[in-house]
Amino acid sequence: MRLARFLVWPAGLTLAGVLFLTPAGGTLRPSDAPAAGATSATAHGKPMRIMSLMLCNDLLLLMLVPPERIASITYLAHDAVAALMPGADRGVAVNYGTAEDVLLQRPDLILAGTYSAAMARKLAQRAGARVVEVPATNSFEDIRRVVRQVGAAVGEPERADILLAGMDAKLARLSAERAPHPLRVVAWSGGGSVPGRGTLTDAIISAAGGENIAAKLPDTRYGSFGLEELLAARPDAILQGETRWTGPSLRDSQTAHPLIERYWRGRVVGYPDAAYTCGLPQSADAALALRAVFRALPAEQAAW
Amino acid sequence: MSGLQAKRLVFRVAGRTLVERVGFVCERGQFVALLGANGAGKSTLIRMLAGLARPAEGQVLLDGRPLQAIDRRELARRRAYIPQNARVEWPIAVERLVALGLMPHLPVFHDLNAAMWRKVEAALAQCDLAHKRGQPADTLSGGELARAMLARALVGDPDILIADEPLAGLDPRHAIEGMARLAALAHAGRLVVASVHDLTLAARYATHVAILREGRLTAFGPTAETLTPANIRMAFDVRASIHGTGADACVDFRALA
Amino acid sequence: MVRTRGYTYQTLCVLLLLLPAAFALSLAIGRVALPFSELLHGLAAPKPNLAWLILAELRIPRTVLALVVGATLGLGGAALQGLLRNPLAEPGLLGVSGGAALGAVIAIYFGLATAFVLAIPLLGIAGALAAGALTFLFGRSGTLTLILAGAAVSGLAGAGLSLALNFAPSPYAAYEITTWLLGSVAERDWAQIALCMPFILAGWLCLAFTPRGLDLLTLGEAQAESLGVNLSLLRAQVLAGVALSVGAATAMAGAIGFVGLVAPHLVRPFVGHQPSRILLPSALFGALLLLVTDIAIRVLPTSNELKLGVLTSLIGTPFFFWLVLHLRRLSP
Repeated sequence: MRLARFLVWPAGLTLAGVLFLTPAGGTLRPSDAPAAGATSATAHGKPMRIMSLMLCNDLLLLMLVPPERIASITYLAHDAVAALMPGADRGVAVNYGTAEDVLLQRPDLILAGTYSAAMARKLAQRAGARVVEVPATNSFEDIRRVVRQVGAAVGEPERADILLAGMDAKLARLSAERAPHPLRVVAWSGGGSVPGRGTLTDAIISAAGGENIAAKLPDTRYGSFGLEELLAARPDAILQGETRWTGPSLRDSQTAHPLIERYWRGRVVGYPDAAYTCGLPQSADAALALRAVFRALPAEQAAW
Repeated sequence: MSGLQAKRLVFRVAGRTLVERVGFVCERGQFVALLGANGAGKSTLIRMLAGLARPAEGQVLLDGRPLQAIDRRELARRRAYIPQNARVEWPIAVERLVALGLMPHLPVFHDLNAAMWRKVEAALAQCDLAHKRGQPADTLSGGELARAMLARALVGDPDILIADEPLAGLDPRHAIEGMARLAALAHAGRLVVASVHDLTLAARYATHVAILREGRLTAFGPTAETLTPANIRMAFDVRASIHGTGADACVDFRALA
Repeated sequence: MVRTRGYTYQTLCVLLLLLPAAFALSLAIGRVALPFSELLHGLAAPKPNLAWLILAELRIPRTVLALVVGATLGLGGAALQGLLRNPLAEPGLLGVSGGAALGAVIAIYFGLATAFVLAIPLLGIAGALAAGALTFLFGRSGTLTLILAGAAVSGLAGAGLSLALNFAPSPYAAYEITTWLLGSVAERDWAQIALCMPFILAGWLCLAFTPRGLDLLTLGEAQAESLGVNLSLLRAQVLAGVALSVGAATAMAGAIGFVGLVAPHLVRPFVGHQPSRILLPSALFGALLLLVTDIAIRVLPTSNELKLGVLTSLIGTPFFFWLVLHLRRLSP
């Protein structure tokens, strides 16, 4: 059922848009202003029923506030939570991002992503909630900004600072120790797009002391990379995102192309998708882990 | 016994009996005209005689052997069949259309050889189509297409030719020519069985007639003895009179008073 | 004596000259620019080297696959058009490709393939067979009925695919199903090709025994039968041949439309309308067409490679429109 709902989700959004686009009877209150994200919650006490509508916000929320203050997180969070902070979502309710969920759970604060913000704002009038729009993160600087923003919104700025201090300490350690030798890597998961310059993946690879060869692609952010280019670029290691989705897929057979098997055996490195796509304090841990992997990689180069 | 023998043929479809115990014997050299009103069962009988429809009871013997026991390709070589209003599905050249009649003579994966092309030439000439040989068959007139189908049927030199209303849609001149051609084939030693609606042409050219009414064979025999006003009245419910004999015969008919 | 043979031999010669040229071009063109001299040098140099790897493991399999899939679709289209005497018959339009895609998707994404590698081609073939049989069953009575039955069966296969998407084991799988369905011959390895080849060859063999029957069907079913054609056997042969070859090809390359429609029509002006004379040229032309399309994809400056099936549809759909208009003018 969960999976079926995943596909229904965008339809739910559209429906909500239609329902709430009609001029509502209520007038706009100050807290509904577009810049609501910047205002502090402390004036009326800490928000006690926080609802998250985006996977990355789910993870931040679980780190910043105790479960009893969380109205719900998205149903998508479970696998990422299990990978990054096992058990942290125990007893926390989930939502499917629908208008019904918002109205039923009556949150006092909604953490929305860029795409869900518009819907959330319209709903917030009915639900009487404040909306904070959390932007995507593409660098460690973005992570600092977002963690502080969310920390302020949920009334836990000190906790946010502690998390960031931990992250920065790890980053400082990484830049203090010189990497063994710059390893040329690419985050390639069987054709399609690869993260290039200006992505969080690129930032993590750099922090770990690697060189993202996709950063040289002419396309910004995400480029595409075929097997031919992979052979020509001859990376020292191939990073492959590991979702916790365990179902079989074509990707399994693609990354198992005999060429990868033959020439990159022991050099295909799995990484937790969530820490690379969501800017989290844990992204520094991911960089640390990657550094360790780089050290352990066999020294010899591909054979041609 | 050389020829075609129908033995107590019965054909039913969805509980209705279309052909009821029809039996007769015809031999090479005969031109048998099959007569009957619309819905009398002519086409069904023709299809059974050709081995394309399986009778519910009885059987058709070709030279004493049941049709069902004869190999498809052998049967295809020995009897030719032309359905009513035969059409071509692709615009192929007339000579290619005619050459299709030689396929049962050709081993699998073999192409037509020079001798076979000569047969095609001969069949085209026999049916006055030599000048149309390269023309796409879908551009032929009705009479030309009927001749092309006849050439297709004759090119394999079959012993028996079975045709369902070969004169359908032909103007008087082409109808006469068509009948004359069938009669000539019978004269040359083949057995020709054709369903015909034109009683005058049947009287002039057929050596034998078989008359069907409501699925039953009401008369069968040499034309002169069998195509009588009484038999015509029984088959078609019309009053008929016959003037002249042989090539000058003329069947005149009017509604019953 | 002038025979209306069309230009069959000339056409075959031209195609047989163009195919190696396209083959060579296909080996020379890829996302990594390698001059021909370097490719040649790679063959002689100690292995493995980059040029040799790209050739032997990527470009040659890709080229072979494009040729095999294109030939299968061209042959299948020509055979179906001959059997049904319908110029609009084609594996895609009759729902055969859709059925094959559904079968393959079920095999790949619901784990059957991991348990049993042959599941992909086998389920692809089973899907193609079921879809083809259904279309034949409901579309026997004419051009229009057949196309409608094909649309209905395609719709059914599409509904099945939507259902598979709906119950996809993961959102990633759902995304991949949609991209896979677009059709591609890129980055398939030799093992995958070897897995499907026997089925494709078996399908071709089935169809190799049909030309005479298809020719005789030019005279209509009754005359064909009177000339010794076993109609039900012929139908079964064409259906089995198309299902085996198109099913296995689709299982490898995804749904690639319109090649089976375009190829027979484009060779007819050169070889005439007799079904037996169209089969081989149509297969060769289909192979050429798909290979050239696949080369075009690699040349087009798009950041994400355009999918093969998308381009064939972009080219094929206007052709289909033209055909519909043209046929309407031909028959009242």
